[in-house]
Amino acid sequence: MEKHSKAYFINLAHQLRFDLTDKEAQDIVDEFSILIDQMNLLNTIDTTGVEPMVYPFEETTSFMREDLVDHVLSAQEALKNAPSSKNGFFITKKVVL
Amino acid sequence: MSFTSVKNIPVEKRVLEALDKAHLVQPKLNAMVSFIDPKPQLENLKSKDKDLPFYGIPVALKDLVNMKDTITTGSSKILDNYVSPYDATIVVKLKEAGAIIIGKASCDTFGMGGTNKTAATGPVHNPYDLSRMSGGSSGGSAVLVASGVVPMAIGTDTGDSIRKPAAFCGIVGVKPTYGRISRYGIIPYASSLDHVGFFTSNVNDAAVSLEVLAGRDDLDMTSSFKPVEKYSSLLKGDLKGKRFGIITNVTNAIQNKNTTTQFNNLCEKLKAQGAIVSEITLNDDLMKAMLPTYYVIANAEATANHSNLDSLRFGVQLEGKDNEEVMIASRTAGFGPLLRKRFVIGSYALFTENQDLIFRKAQKVRRLIVEDVKKALSEVDCLIAPASSNGAPLIEDTQIDQLSSEYLVAENFMALGNFSGYPSMTLPFGFDGVLPLGVNLTCKPFEERLMLDLAKGIEDLTQLNDLICEVKP
Repeated sequence: MEKHSKAYFINLAHQLRFDLTDKEAQDIVDEFSILIDQMNLLNTIDTTGVEPMVYPFEETTSFMREDLVDHVLSAQEALKNAPSSKNGFFITKKVVL
Repeated sequence: MSFTSVKNIPVEKRVLEALDKAHLVQPKLNAMVSFIDPKPQLENLKSKDKDLPFYGIPVALKDLVNMKDTITTGSSKILDNYVSPYDATIVVKLKEAGAIIIGKASCDTFGMGGTNKTAATGPVHNPYDLSRMSGGSSGGSAVLVASGVVPMAIGTDTGDSIRKPAAFCGIVGVKPTYGRISRYGIIPYASSLDHVGFFTSNVNDAAVSLEVLAGRDDLDMTSSFKPVEKYSSLLKGDLKGKRFGIITNVTNAIQNKNTTTQFNNLCEKLKAQGAIVSEITLNDDLMKAMLPTYYVIANAEATANHSNLDSLRFGVQLEGKDNEEVMIASRTAGFGPLLRKRFVIGSYALFTENQDLIFRKAQKVRRLIVEDVKKALSEVDCLIAPASSNGAPLIEDTQIDQLSSEYLVAENFMALGNFSGYPSMTLPFGFDGVLPLGVNLTCKPFEERLMLDLAKGIEDLTQLNDLICEVKP
């Protein structure tokens, strides 16, 4: 892992749709150096031929269910938490100018 | 406070007393985020069988658990106004079992933390010493049980978020096998590591709770089809011939002699009961790599899980001239600094150029860690170690050497249970001054019956069941 600047992390945060203060970006720069040290511990481990472990168990617990209507939320219930809605739709800022 | 002692009080009185007590201690503990009017639930209870396992038992939910028409904030600012449109599966199960839910307990925001200091409502205080932390992320739930407000509270555990606060608060905390309890309706943190569990004040109540909460749920595709056992009626506490493996990597890393002495005493008592206690040494390099492995996987999964928090469809929305500005303003204000930091690191690990180098590497190391634990458990019935080096730290404490063995291993080893999905629990075994100390047990997958039985044996030895730390208002 390489070292990065404050500006790098501020830009990264922006891509994630939030801002960082200057101090928060500096904290991440500082913490990143600890993370690099910790990641170096990780890199000392030989994982040649090891498959990534995505979930704890690999036996199948999911299946295709019958295509039946189940657990329905009404449009009214689904929109109850919307900051703005009208006629069964979410209202957002204009997207197409 | 045990289920038995609570059941001696008339139902309505006990529920209202729990609610009153929760209000009364709130200024000192700050354990609750929202309170729920119990009257409709009490009304529904009248038509139910009085022999139900949770009949009239007041219960608190971690503030990640959806319950229809209640506020579920995830202890965040961004969901400060979020009203749950449906019940989580465990809420359905608790209601069917007769429980009365009195409120939502504080946690680290979205369960992301180990201190409960990141909750939007502020830190939760440990009832044994109000200047100390509850532990997290399920700190509010732990404190409510420890202070005798409720006899059972729901928590979630992604790294040790039930087991560490249970240790710090002198109660029983259970994280069952991955897939044993449905996660449907619970705000996620990291989906491959998240578990639902609970706190009680004794092992028997923990067994009853697991019976009620466990079982297959088609709404959670990771939930297991394995049948649920009658955990409570099978509890014997017989330790004779049971094989305990002390994790020496943990015990060697602990610097607190008081903790070590008391743990050694416990092991001697186990031997005196006929248990076979041996030492197990896990691969030390893997143990030291555990925290960075956890950090990478958990933060990467969290970044993906919380990308839906755009404040356009739900959540607190701030002004902006277009949708992007709305999202940036809302997410900046709605996430605390720690959360933002974690999302940045999680996202970094998921960059195409970093995926193999960081994310996949962590997933590969995870497999090696789990294989090491599996091998260790082929030799013993259970792995055992103190859940923490010390009692609960001071809320203001920030002096941690993040590369020391004590921090990397002794303070973070319980993530083994999350990587592997194996059942793991903590119960009290002593005190460091006034602060409780917890011991952690980890067993093979779906061996909750054995794990609870071993815990019962330990509880019989220590007699540290039903501890209540009363907090004066």
